[in-house]
Amino acid sequence: MKEDIKENGVLIGVKNLYKNFGKVKVLNGVSCDIKKGEKVVIIGPSGSGKSTFLRCMNLLEEPTYGEIWFRDRILTPVDPYLHFDVIKLSKTFKKLFDEAKVENPNLSDEQIEEQTIALIKEKDLLKKFEGKDFNNAVKSIYSENFMNINLTRQKIGMVFQHFNLFNNLTVLQNLTLAPVQLKLKTKEQAEKKAFELLKRIGLEEKANVYPSTLSGGQKQRIAIIRALAMEPDVMLFDEPTSALDPEMVGEVLELMKDLANDGMTMVVVTHEMGFAKEVASRVLFIDEGIIKEENSPKEFFSNPKDPRLKEFLSKVLQ
Amino acid sequence: MLNDFKIIFTNPEAFNYVVEGFTNTLLVTVIAALIGLAIGFVVAIVKISAGQFKFMKIPAIICDVYTTVIRGTPVALQLFIMVFSLFAIRGFKPYAVILTFGINSGAYISENIRAGISSTDSGQMEAGRALGLSWTKTMIKIIMPQAIKNIIPAIGNEMIALLKETAIVSMVGATVGTLTFDLNTASTTIYYAKNIGVSSYLSCAIVAGLLYLIVVYFMVWVVKLLERRMGRSERRH
Repeated sequence: MKEDIKENGVLIGVKNLYKNFGKVKVLNGVSCDIKKGEKVVIIGPSGSGKSTFLRCMNLLEEPTYGEIWFRDRILTPVDPYLHFDVIKLSKTFKKLFDEAKVENPNLSDEQIEEQTIALIKEKDLLKKFEGKDFNNAVKSIYSENFMNINLTRQKIGMVFQHFNLFNNLTVLQNLTLAPVQLKLKTKEQAEKKAFELLKRIGLEEKANVYPSTLSGGQKQRIAIIRALAMEPDVMLFDEPTSALDPEMVGEVLELMKDLANDGMTMVVVTHEMGFAKEVASRVLFIDEGIIKEENSPKEFFSNPKDPRLKEFLSKVLQ
Repeated sequence: MLNDFKIIFTNPEAFNYVVEGFTNTLLVTVIAALIGLAIGFVVAIVKISAGQFKFMKIPAIICDVYTTVIRGTPVALQLFIMVFSLFAIRGFKPYAVILTFGINSGAYISENIRAGISSTDSGQMEAGRALGLSWTKTMIKIIMPQAIKNIIPAIGNEMIALLKETAIVSMVGATVGTLTFDLNTASTTIYYAKNIGVSSYLSCAIVAGLLYLIVVYFMVWVVKLLERRMGRSERRH
């Protein structure tokens, strides 16, 4: 996995992701790589888990099981079962390995290792033998590969359905707060950048007003440039137009297309099929917590294979 | 009746008592309020952060016990325990009294602040975290300012209640040693009334009541002013 990311330019790697809310299983094993420059659009019926999937990518939701990688670092707590190095350091492994070696003297060490690891995974043995060695091993794997989530989030911009502009700050303060607080920019640099971005969306005159005075479309566009002010590597959009008046949807989509043309890596959860057709480099259909279909937009819309997707598209596109 | 008021306000000795009782009432209220705000703030933060940081779990339990006990028992009882048992030290009574009211209002204020924090839109915290700000930083820069704006009326109420609650100090005795520490207007005026020929206690009580009313009215005005100031970001302009 680690090597994959380095080689293929994968920005966000999601591996075998599960998420439960109490007893409700929302995600049931989703795997997906977001490569640099890709525009991935995620569609699906409501309650299908697509928003949860997106929110797991920057750990706003903590996955129940599975891994999230950003570049070559892991974000989720290390699952010992997925890291052979950790298993190998456990006492259980040593014990079983020695036993197996005595029993099968003609097998090679690698074969015994594989067998032992499979046995440990199968019988869930590690939990009973959580010794100091094992804990240290988990810790070392953790510190080696783990990335501070706050640092990662600086590089993953997020846009919400309900904008979530900071109500107690003016537009300009909204744009400069994070870069200044995180010491990425000085106040002057941040303000310069903020005005550049405001100019781009034509809202310079709104710099010193509070968000409550803005229309939905303006709020969402400012939310987008707030994320951009952090100069992220990838942007996540969580139904950015769902809470907008119909006449304001256009201006937000326009800005998003603009971003796409600039080569920004984007993951967009949306119901805007037109946007998906036009901008996406890949469309995912999520239903019942799994990716049911994944294809280029052309194939996806003209030749859907999954029966549930056919039904969904026939309802949405009529 | 009129004659009574005349005596209270013209007899310098009597007037002195009124002023002293009045200032002492304010003094106790203000200091107790400051202690209460400090305690309330800390307790609320501890309780809220327990959901975020594991090491805050035990402090949060202690804080829960504190608010439960303080809010579950009468303030008069707390006053007796503080003044006559825990701090039964000569000359310490005024401080024990102030401390009691501070600790008491701290419990209520903490609940107000906690409610204010949890009533802010959860999207605000999410937006802060999504930008890479830490929980603490988002709390300080985004959540607290919004929470404070929301809880100003509730805190104002608490202050008004506290001001009036201090009147029960008369239960534990108004003077301490040589230091006159008549802690509330009502008890002072009534206590003194006998000696200066005021015909009824009612007139003393009315004077005291009027003084309370004036202060409360002033506090309400301040709360309104603050509300308007803090509400700037809500208004359209």
